[in-house]
Amino acid sequence: MAGLLAVKGRALTIEKRGDISKAAMILNPILSVALALLVGGTFLVLTGHDPLEIYSTMLKGAFGSAYGLSETVVKAIPLLLSGLAVSVAFRMQLWNIGAEGQLYFGAIAATWVALFHADGSRIIVLSMMVGAAFVAGGLWAMIAAIPRAFFKVNETITTLMLNYVAILYSNYLIYGPWKDPEGYNFPLTAIFPESAVLPVLGTSRIHFGLFFGLAAALILYVALWHTKWGYEIRVIGESPVAARYAGMNIVKNILIVMFISGGLAGIAGMAEVSGISQRLQPGLSPGYGYTAIIVAWLARLNPFTMLGVSFIFGGLLVGGYTMQTSGLPAALVSMLQGAILFFVLGGEIFTKYRLVLTGGDRKEV
Amino acid sequence: METMLVKMVSITKKFPGVIANRNVDFELKAGQIHALLGENGAGKSTLMSVLTGLYMPDDGEIHIKGRKVSFTSPRDAISAGIGMVHQHFRLVNSFSVAENIVMGSSSEGFLIDMHEAEKKLAAFSEDYGLNVIPKAKVWQLSVGEQQRVEIVKMLYRGAEILVLDEPTAVLTPQESRELFATLRRMTDRGKGVIVITHKLQEVMENADRITVLRDGQSVATFNVRDTNPKELAQAMVGRDITGSYELPEITKCETILQLKNLSAYGDRGQIALKEINLAVRRGEIVGLAGVAGNGQKELAEVIAGLREVAGGKLHFLGKDYTGKSVRQIVDAGVSLIPEDRLGTGLVGSLDAVSNSILKNYRLKDAGRGWFINWRSVRKCTDKLVKDYDVKLTRLEAPVKLLSGGNLQKLLLAREMSNNPEIIVAVYPARGLDIGAIETVRNTLLKQREQGKAIVLISEELEELFALSDRIAVIHEGEIMGTVDRDCLDLNEIGMMMAGERKELANGRVASS
Amino acid sequence: MKKFFVVLTLLIFATVALTGCGGGDKTATSDAGNEQEKFKVAFIYVGPVGDAGWTYAHDKGRQYLEKEIPNVKTTFVESVPENMADAERVLEQLVQEGNKVIFATSFGYMDAVIKVAKRHPDVIFMHCSGYKTEKNAGTYFGRDYQARYLAGIVAGKNSKSGDLGYVAAMPIPEVIRGINAYTLGARSVNPNATVKVVWTNTWFDPAKEKEAGKSLIEQGVDVMAQHQDTPGPVQAAADAGKLALGYNSDMRNFAPDAVLTGPVWNWGPYYVEVVKSVMDNTWTNEQYWGPLKDGIIDLGPYGPMVTKDVKDLVASKRQEIIDGRLEVFNGPLKDNAGKERVPAGKVMTDKEMLEFNWFVEGVIGEIPKK
Repeated sequence: MAGLLAVKGRALTIEKRGDISKAAMILNPILSVALALLVGGTFLVLTGHDPLEIYSTMLKGAFGSAYGLSETVVKAIPLLLSGLAVSVAFRMQLWNIGAEGQLYFGAIAATWVALFHADGSRIIVLSMMVGAAFVAGGLWAMIAAIPRAFFKVNETITTLMLNYVAILYSNYLIYGPWKDPEGYNFPLTAIFPESAVLPVLGTSRIHFGLFFGLAAALILYVALWHTKWGYEIRVIGESPVAARYAGMNIVKNILIVMFISGGLAGIAGMAEVSGISQRLQPGLSPGYGYTAIIVAWLARLNPFTMLGVSFIFGGLLVGGYTMQTSGLPAALVSMLQGAILFFVLGGEIFTKYRLVLTGGDRKEV
Repeated sequence: METMLVKMVSITKKFPGVIANRNVDFELKAGQIHALLGENGAGKSTLMSVLTGLYMPDDGEIHIKGRKVSFTSPRDAISAGIGMVHQHFRLVNSFSVAENIVMGSSSEGFLIDMHEAEKKLAAFSEDYGLNVIPKAKVWQLSVGEQQRVEIVKMLYRGAEILVLDEPTAVLTPQESRELFATLRRMTDRGKGVIVITHKLQEVMENADRITVLRDGQSVATFNVRDTNPKELAQAMVGRDITGSYELPEITKCETILQLKNLSAYGDRGQIALKEINLAVRRGEIVGLAGVAGNGQKELAEVIAGLREVAGGKLHFLGKDYTGKSVRQIVDAGVSLIPEDRLGTGLVGSLDAVSNSILKNYRLKDAGRGWFINWRSVRKCTDKLVKDYDVKLTRLEAPVKLLSGGNLQKLLLAREMSNNPEIIVAVYPARGLDIGAIETVRNTLLKQREQGKAIVLISEELEELFALSDRIAVIHEGEIMGTVDRDCLDLNEIGMMMAGERKELANGRVASS
Repeated sequence: MKKFFVVLTLLIFATVALTGCGGGDKTATSDAGNEQEKFKVAFIYVGPVGDAGWTYAHDKGRQYLEKEIPNVKTTFVESVPENMADAERVLEQLVQEGNKVIFATSFGYMDAVIKVAKRHPDVIFMHCSGYKTEKNAGTYFGRDYQARYLAGIVAGKNSKSGDLGYVAAMPIPEVIRGINAYTLGARSVNPNATVKVVWTNTWFDPAKEKEAGKSLIEQGVDVMAQHQDTPGPVQAAADAGKLALGYNSDMRNFAPDAVLTGPVWNWGPYYVEVVKSVMDNTWTNEQYWGPLKDGIIDLGPYGPMVTKDVKDLVASKRQEIIDGRLEVFNGPLKDNAGKERVPAGKVMTDKEMLEFNWFVEGVIGEIPKK
């Protein structure tokens, strides 16, 4: 074997796998997580911490108690909804990086209903909030979708930039017109009336948004895999040339898909503002729209897989704060989370590619 | 005595399932422009990739200036003085000409004296009449100028032997003339130039010697003084062809597909089709012959609605379909068997079942209302796969894993299952094994019998001769003429492919 | 690809099971003795403890507390975002870990503090800079505007052009009050002085804050003040060879040639006081707004460029404030549009100051309005 490597012109290269093997699919995540924990553990030991204790704190914090589990679910709801949002767009190769902004616009629209049109019964007000959030998120996404559909303007840039606009617009409302008159001029809207607050599960903070997420996952699954429209989306995503050849309307579908994508992110914002903070305030989302991109990617854009991935992700984030109380600085926590992500994402490569030896004189082999 | 710059002896290069070069011999003399002529897929590019170190030959030897060499990478070839100008330029648009040329040059150290390099380049440019401005940014240059930059880059790296892959495909006639003037200046200084091409006229005007490749083998090498376009066309196309299929007589009265003065633009905005007139009747196969890149692809796309009609009319079954959407044209019963099976015709990452409804997913066959009934679709697919003998491991496997032959069978199965009125088949047999070729041909003949109107685009005259009721020849976007099956004459077709009008070609053949 | 998450979930639960048992045993045996005895106090911070500003000052207070009362064990969680989803959970978690007093050191935690406080009446919550209270939740803050007034005097005396700059986090009353006090201080010694304000909309973003500082210097400002959690603006001033005022903690280390002085927090003694009162059961849900007199806020040490004259002037003004002879917001006061807001002879009430939403004359800048 040593001789083989020495043959001139040979090289180790990465090659795309044809069919993804089952063994690779099962082994890869296990190895990736194990490797991540190992590397993270080495860092912990080097910085004078006990990795076993840290890991157990993290896992206990996120999954080890009813409270921890419920909080993990709370964190998973916006990740699930915005993960589904970006995955719809990604499936059509539309790189909607703007879930964060669409989430904010959903929250703004929901707040508008809650502050100024919350006279009806709870079910009516909440339905209006969901509807308004969906439309607002969708329309916000349209700003990037229309130039993309008609003039091929790169949506990655536009959606990303619109995030800042959306966040600053929400700040404008909070600091300006929508400021709570009884709030001592602090940047907060008034607390939502009871009719505009999503019901919660028992004494936990798990709110009705969970069912929005589950329903969205189910609807998306059926729509993508069992409808003619979903078929179009998948074909366009996999091969726009083939889609055009088959007579599919790509422009129309770009608009529809971006609207749905933005709308789902908008619902994530509604769920967060109505289920958790119950008022609009700065910093509503600590970057759910961005984390959602990783969630969508790890779930391979599959709506059901997304349920599991967002739950695990929620745990990773919740567990992070728990680790701090066992003496781990926030920076190390972020580093550890980063390491786990790095290895899991990195490991993904090896389900799609494999290392092969190329070049050299074939006759010798 | 003439110096032999390159001597390739009995080169063989195999790819899985294909022998791209079989015992090819090739010699390049110093001071000559040597054309490498052949149809697409004849093995020209493979041979040159072997010479430039991109591929390693499975058998055979390469001698450069009398010394035996063995290249394991393009770098080896470059250091042996071989430079290649690819069809797609390898330039960084935002860099200046000088930066592009110096970049990656092994003679430079870590630090580059740009000023010195620019001076050197200007001298080079002057010397060869290349007129390249070192400080200009690449994106500011025309295609012809970019090509000159590529040439200078090779000269700068000390190339003695320059290989150009279809250099005039992207150039205007004026630019082509300038290019050959430059190449001539290089050969005057004792360098050798190899030009890969399939343009007969160009070769006759500019080359010193010509090697013709066909089916991966070298057919012959001519001195340009001793040959003529007819001989070259024949050498490219191969043996004399006789119709090997009996086409059953059927009444073909009704015109189903009609193009009237149809014009269209190509991808680069050039005129690709010039006032084409073509009518195809029920039960008729019209073959479209021509050297690749003369508008065949564009013609197929215009008929399928994938390319905009710039002028003229497109009629199906007597109705005007000019400017209609792809969907309307699909619904009118037009079926395109595209050149690019995987990517256009089929979606590689989806399975056979999903691919089987690509054209008719909107119809009731696929399911009622908004939904798709995968169970019944799967059953239909299963039947299609069996009928057309598509070999696949599972219906659910992504189709990109299938071989070319099975892809084409699956594609045909789907297209025919939609019972089209008009079929446009673009290079349907290219790259297939014998069995699959038979399936393709039999399918087309069966459709002909069923009264379909078929346009068969192929670069294999043998195939066209065998299957067509009539053959139309296209050259630079114009139909040179149409020949009936009964009066097919290889030489005449060859002349038309080289750009002669039917009447002229006819006369020239008759007088020779 | 469902297998991926199935496997991942299994793996995680397997690890929970394994390490969970091990970890549990350990705390049960070794920590049981002395840990249970200790009085547990927790802090949640908006930034990292190493921000050299706001959070750093609070953490110094925490360390002081731990040193002063040996029977106290403190915990902190840093970099907690100011959204309900995270803040409420972290507070809840700190309660569950047995903390008896919890200090929440940023305004954005207000709703979360109130919500968690209602659920846990046996735990005392102290929220910094907010306005909502519960039976077991109080608020605390310092009258930093008094120190800012003094800082304004130093700036006014050291500015050649009278063009002062101010990098401000967010247009909330706390910040606006500080800008106004600073401006009044500067104009008390240089009636022509003006203060240009730039909003960053962030508390903790060193790069952005530094950029904001640079933009002010480009507009000709020669003394830089700031209401941020990091030394970014100070560094911007130092880079340009201008003068600056720090905030939160002594920032002379970051720019020895630039820092004149700056308002500095000293939370330690107050934290000791609160924790002691809770231990003695004398705690009440007061809204503490500590003045200069209490030492919770003061002007920090001077840089070498501050002359004795200025130091003496500030010292006498400081004494006047402590003695109650000098009120910072004393009429007549006009806003920066020229409209009279506080008539002569009137002093602004605490409520008015807590709701500050206008700039005094001399401030160049905008507050987002309805």
